[in-house]
Amino acid sequence: MGRTIVVTAGKGGVGKTTITANLGASLSKLGNKVVVVDMDIGLRNLDVVMGLENRVVYNIMDISDGKCKINQALVRDKHFPGLFLLPASQIHTKDDINIDKIVDIISTIENSFDYVLLDSPAGIEKGFESAAAPAKEALIIVTPDVSAVRDADRVIGILENRGILAIALIVNRYDYGLVRRKKMLNADSIVDILGLDLIGMIPEDKMIIESNNRGELLANYANGSIANKAFENISRRIEGEDIPFLNFKPQGKGFFGLFRREE
Amino acid sequence: MSIPRIGSTSLIAEERLKVILVQDRSMLPPTKFGHMKEDVIDTIGNYFEINKANILLIIQRESKKTVLDTIASILSVKRKIR
Repeated sequence: MGRTIVVTAGKGGVGKTTITANLGASLSKLGNKVVVVDMDIGLRNLDVVMGLENRVVYNIMDISDGKCKINQALVRDKHFPGLFLLPASQIHTKDDINIDKIVDIISTIENSFDYVLLDSPAGIEKGFESAAAPAKEALIIVTPDVSAVRDADRVIGILENRGILAIALIVNRYDYGLVRRKKMLNADSIVDILGLDLIGMIPEDKMIIESNNRGELLANYANGSIANKAFENISRRIEGEDIPFLNFKPQGKGFFGLFRREE
Repeated sequence: MSIPRIGSTSLIAEERLKVILVQDRSMLPPTKFGHMKEDVIDTIGNYFEINKANILLIIQRESKKTVLDTIASILSVKRKIR
């Protein structure tokens, strides 16, 4: 049976969808069968981030309404044969969601896949509830700023009350230079404040924007980028490997700081 | 609180977060939290001689649970307990 993990944040715009898609790709690259599920009913975007918008036929609400089978709604990725998208509906609203049915659908999918990643909508209302309900584990995404950490704290409290205790933290848009100059919240401080285990930091990387523009995933489009390295490391940590954290230090006088591993 | 223009703004962010999260985690409106703090101080003050201005109430998350910590330095034990 597979692992069902909700990717959530509370705050919008911190990178939940981008991270869900790219983690899905790197987990599948490690040989896993992965489904990424867009739980943002009415505001779907995971299809666009993956460049699969033209291949969407059915969606999770169609399954829930009995209009199609699960297999008919799953869209296989362009590049990674082990990666599938279950799109959200664009015409429904969050009020149309039947949480019990969503839980049933996900537990059926869980039986034939290694990972089910649920991309949660922003907020703590019904959309979030329905994304969290089927999950046994959670990845919390924060950007290193006061509002994102504050909202994350709220979400962590709600998840823990629901009995989801396996929660790990991803710090996105991390600027090592700013952190070093004490102009950006340090990942360790965020970890202390939130009381969670850190599973990875994703550095600011223009390749994320470029791949997003093209509807491509980093593991295919920018395999050698530092952001992709971060996703690979997070995936391997999710798999239980002990991977040291990346530490970016500028070298020489060049514009580009090369990265090296922490001692 | 004066916020310096230069220097470590990350420290400012950290301090602000800590204050904000105490309020958020208590799930109490700020005035209620103030009342609670006064009640706690009064109760401790019934048994110990304490410096009431120097008491710290912190709500923090510790491995899967939220705890309320009260830190008060005790000057002496009260002879007559009310």
